Amino acid sequence: MTPVDKLLDAIATACRVLTGLSLVILTVIFGWLVFGRYVLNATPTWVEQAALLLVMTIAFIGAAVGVHENAHLSVSVFRGLVPAPVRTAFVIVTDLAMAGFGGLMLVYGAKLTAFKWGSMIPLIQLPEGLRSLPLTIGGGLILLFSLAHLTRLALRRDLRRDTIE
Amino acid sequence: MGLLLLLGLFALCVAIGVPVAFALGIAAISAFAFEGLPLMIGFQRIISGINVFSLMAIPFFIFAGELMFHGGIAMRLVRFASAAVGAVRGGLGIVNVFSSMLFGGISGSAVADISALGSILVPVMKEKGYDADYAVNVTVTSSIAGIIIPPSHNMIIFAIAAGGGISISKLFLAGVVPGMLMCLCLAVAAYLVAVKRGYSAEAFPGWSALAFAFFGAIPGLLTAVIIVGGVLSGVFTVTESGAFGAIYAFLVTLLVYRSITWENFKIAVRQSVRTTSMVMILIACAGAFAYMLTFYRVPDKTVDLLTGLTDNPIMILLMINLALLVLGMIMDMAALILICTPIFLPVANSLGVDPYQFGMILLVNLGLGLCTPPVGSCLFVGCAVGKLPMEKAVRTIWPFYLAIFVALMLITFVPAISLTLPGLLDP
Amino acid sequence: AEWRGWNIHVEGYPNTVAMDKFAELVEEKTGGEISLQMFHGGTLGSQPDAIEQVRLGGLEIGNFNLGPIGPIAAEANVVSLPFIFKDVPHMFRVLNGEGGEMIAKGMEAKGLIPLAWYDAGARSFYNGAKPINAPEDVAGMKVRVMNNDLYSGMIAELGGNPSPMAFAEVYQALKTGVVDGAENNWPSYESTGHFEVAGYYSLSQHLIIPECVCINADAYNALSDEQKAAVKEAAMESAELQQQLWAEREATSRKMVEEAGVVTNEIADKGPFQEAMVPVYEAYLEANADLRPLVELIQATE
Ligand code: NA
Ligand code: NA
Repeated sequence: MTPVDKLLDAIATACRVLTGLSLVILTVIFGWLVFGRYVLNATPTWVEQAALLLVMTIAFIGAAVGVHENAHLSVSVFRGLVPAPVRTAFVIVTDLAMAGFGGLMLVYGAKLTAFKWGSMIPLIQLPEGLRSLPLTIGGGLILLFSLAHLTRLALRRDLRRDTIE
Repeated sequence: MGLLLLLGLFALCVAIGVPVAFALGIAAISAFAFEGLPLMIGFQRIISGINVFSLMAIPFFIFAGELMFHGGIAMRLVRFASAAVGAVRGGLGIVNVFSSMLFGGISGSAVADISALGSILVPVMKEKGYDADYAVNVTVTSSIAGIIIPPSHNMIIFAIAAGGGISISKLFLAGVVPGMLMCLCLAVAAYLVAVKRGYSAEAFPGWSALAFAFFGAIPGLLTAVIIVGGVLSGVFTVTESGAFGAIYAFLVTLLVYRSITWENFKIAVRQSVRTTSMVMILIACAGAFAYMLTFYRVPDKTVDLLTGLTDNPIMILLMINLALLVLGMIMDMAALILICTPIFLPVANSLGVDPYQFGMILLVNLGLGLCTPPVGSCLFVGCAVGKLPMEKAVRTIWPFYLAIFVALMLITFVPAISLTLPGLLDP
Repeated sequence: AEWRGWNIHVEGYPNTVAMDKFAELVEEKTGGEISLQMFHGGTLGSQPDAIEQVRLGGLEIGNFNLGPIGPIAAEANVVSLPFIFKDVPHMFRVLNGEGGEMIAKGMEAKGLIPLAWYDAGARSFYNGAKPINAPEDVAGMKVRVMNNDLYSGMIAELGGNPSPMAFAEVYQALKTGVVDGAENNWPSYESTGHFEVAGYYSLSQHLIIPECVCINADAYNALSDEQKAAVKEAAMESAELQQQLWAEREATSRKMVEEAGVVTNEIADKGPFQEAMVPVYEAYLEANADLRPLVELIQATE
């Protein structure tokens, strides 16, 4: 493991902690919502909007970790049918496409965030721009992880592994 | 031209191995650029794809399922199923189907069902002298019951793809009978194949053992009661019931069964996040893809095309079934629900097919696709759990395909199977 | 030019018919220089998303309710103040005067130009338990509201429990008592089937929120003066049609639900409701001091 690999793994771990916490918090605030409605007779009106932000975080940051772990659903039949050099080309093009898409997520996500920062999400009074922030950060991470994979491939040290327990 | 780019680029990306979610996103964003639409809107569509309140139930169902698996509820459900129906010929095959009805019913995820139940049941079946291919076949095909029996996150995805207007509670109710019907067909297939192969029955453990297993399973079974019952009685909305299911599963495994450890809890959280993010990113990118399909008026054109071809509703329904089956063989479920619903639902509507019934037809078709090569995540996971090459499993799976197909045809042509229960909900 | 337009309503709805008419008139009045393709039923996204799409230029035209424009253009949020309009004609008098100009200016600064105003009727409370005649009747009730601090503030000040909830969940929630009541106009109350599960409709008319035919500012400013006039004229004519169809639709919906057994009641004295809104107005004007002139203008409009 080079220091760079260690750094990438550390980033992925931080993301896992963030998304895991988001899931637990999400569950707890819904418990609070029902408790508020029935026991306190005061429905906490912020839960809905806060929950949407948490789900965005789980989705986009979690998706980036999925890229790091190579865990996304893909169709591998055709890769298996072609000769090895073509397969390598497929892998490279895939990584380039992912990196490009991640880059676009980063750039246009940032633009959206800036565009919407001025208006507020009703009922929680946080900037609307927060909605596109997880996509922006997730895009940046996808760019990073895809480029890292390409570099490893070029150095013939593909360390990316599927970590499904 | 733009439509060709959208579909062609998507197919190309999928073929070279780009994850399906990102293939949808890349094709959609390219089409946005091609049409000169602001790319910011493309990413707005991706965000809005999951900025939907009803989707919130998905992480909860997944989390509840994972907690039930890692906290030992799944195992107790199997024990109960085994005591209840194990004494029939080929008993463990039927136990497998019955367990899926109980557990898959709760988690709503076919793959979770296989990894949870398959890893418990397949080794046991092999040990008791069942062939590996039989064990895998039953496990794989029965797992799709979880998609149809409520609650089911795939139903939520369908409701969203249908563009609101569909009540998730009614959809849940619509799934009960078709799900049980499918399990019944599969149980018959499991029985017949078992008889043909001469598998023996389990000894009936006696009424007290059955009662004991039942009491052990009650807290686990209550998870389903809480989720579905909570929704139907109106204590919770669908989303809240999912959260309560997860909280309840956690408390039961922590306090009643005392079987969940900090380590298990962390694994359950991590697996839930992983599955959730994979499903969500798919829904997100499909949002942008569906926008472009609408932009090119694909749904309208499909209606015209299909209804222009023939005006026989039976033929059109069969054609839709066939298209879904073929698509289901090469692509995964959630993506197809999101892509196909806006295209085929208007066709079905124009034929007077109820959207709730259509939902069942769609889900069973795509569920069957999960069990078929070349792309079938259930088949993949099932073979991995059973340590069996895919070719071997597929060679003897046809009686089970047939069983699902029979159920599918009944669901397609007998609306009452899907619509009677939800009809009770309306005055 | 080829334009695309967004509308959330289904086929046959007054707004849908009017927007189709608008598309037809635009093409006719510009001699075919501009064509407009309408996407009905919200197929291109939710209302807030579509507003954003028009602002960004992905769509040119939208038929929007001013409610969701409020968070973007503060001037437009004024119409979401409960009881700000006396009735629908009062609302149109304001919109066709200086008040309408001020709102339009605020929207224009955000890239949206309103071409004409549509009617969306008045929203009133409904529930399954009893007629509402005074704020005390709302006390303790779980009422579903749209996502806006003004609406939840309104219910809270009446002593109720504001429960924001996705629109699609409301029917089931009313039926099973997750919420006790909700609020909407006649056509929505009828078409959603909510009248089946909440049979008391009390004419509080607390919110009278207009709709607009909006155009992307850049697309509009790129037009020649004749084209601008033609587009504007087309929008005004479609608005006349919409208002007429809306009135008919309101009457039909009301008749239909009343025949189905819904109990409707006029509220003899809305004074106590309006008095209860004083804190809502105060908090709002404290946070938006620059909008005080607009609020006072509306209140002063006869
Ligand atoms: Na299920
Ligand atoms: Na099974």
